[in-house]
Amino acid sequence: MSTTDCVRVTTVVGSDPATAFDLFTREVDAWWRRGPRFRQGLGRPSVMRFEGAEGGRLVEAYTDAAGGAFEVGRVLAWKPGDRLIFQWRGNNFEPGLVTEVEVRFEPAERGTRVTLEHRGWDRVPLEHASRHGYGASNAFTSMIGLWWGDLLTSLRAHAGRGAPR
Amino acid sequence: MTSRAGGAARQLDRTLAALADPTRRRVVELLRERPHRAGELAAAFDASAPAMSRHLRVLRTRGLVEEERVDDDARVRIYRLRREPFDALQLWLRELESFWSDQLESFGAHVAGRRAAAKPERPR
Repeated sequence: MSTTDCVRVTTVVGSDPATAFDLFTREVDAWWRRGPRFRQGLGRPSVMRFEGAEGGRLVEAYTDAAGGAFEVGRVLAWKPGDRLIFQWRGNNFEPGLVTEVEVRFEPAERGTRVTLEHRGWDRVPLEHASRHGYGASNAFTSMIGLWWGDLLTSLRAHAGRGAPR
Repeated sequence: MTSRAGGAARQLDRTLAALADPTRRRVVELLRERPHRAGELAAAFDASAPAMSRHLRVLRTRGLVEEERVDDDARVRIYRLRREPFDALQLWLRELESFWSDQLESFGAHVAGRRAAAKPERPR
């Protein structure tokens, strides 16, 4: 399965990997940005939280009177200090479309390198998607590759703001 | 979510769904070079004319390609890419990258804040 159909961002944070993993998961609501760009409840007050470890889920739970929660996705891997994988759905996704976010925590000179990959949109389950016998094509990947040049440029322009490196 | 953003999201779904098939991705890759006739595409993929016709119909109904008839022969159809869905896809990827970049920046600031709170004698 291709893993190159992804958005990848990375940063270095000032703690050891175990602490970084712990803060990333246990305190997700503290750092997950607010506002309509980052939360899906159309401005409703909410808390983000991981419920359970592997097999659990990431939810955006609403704290207004109506309550309820939006399930962002299931937790597929939970390796403290090392790796976290969860599914990610937008509230406007077609049924059956699920993407995947993997976060890796690696020791770095001044803390932990955190690498986040969001991937999986060439796997949209559709009527024809699995019917043909062709192997995985690199066409889409190489097309994406052309775009990555631009993306990485904007990532570099972004680097150095806020997060320690 | 405004209805316009909802419409953009539906177009993005249509684009991604059309690109979910490897043959259609290869057709798109060929059409990136130049417009092709339907027959050329079928030959390039060793596909039957009906099979290629089915793929082209998906690409056309989802707005990724447009077909043009050649004046002097109504049977010949030329396919070319439409730019808009690919611009929209690229924009979406940039937004997604920016989304996570901002999130990790916020996470880094949170970790730094925790560290500063744990060591008040040596604020960062």
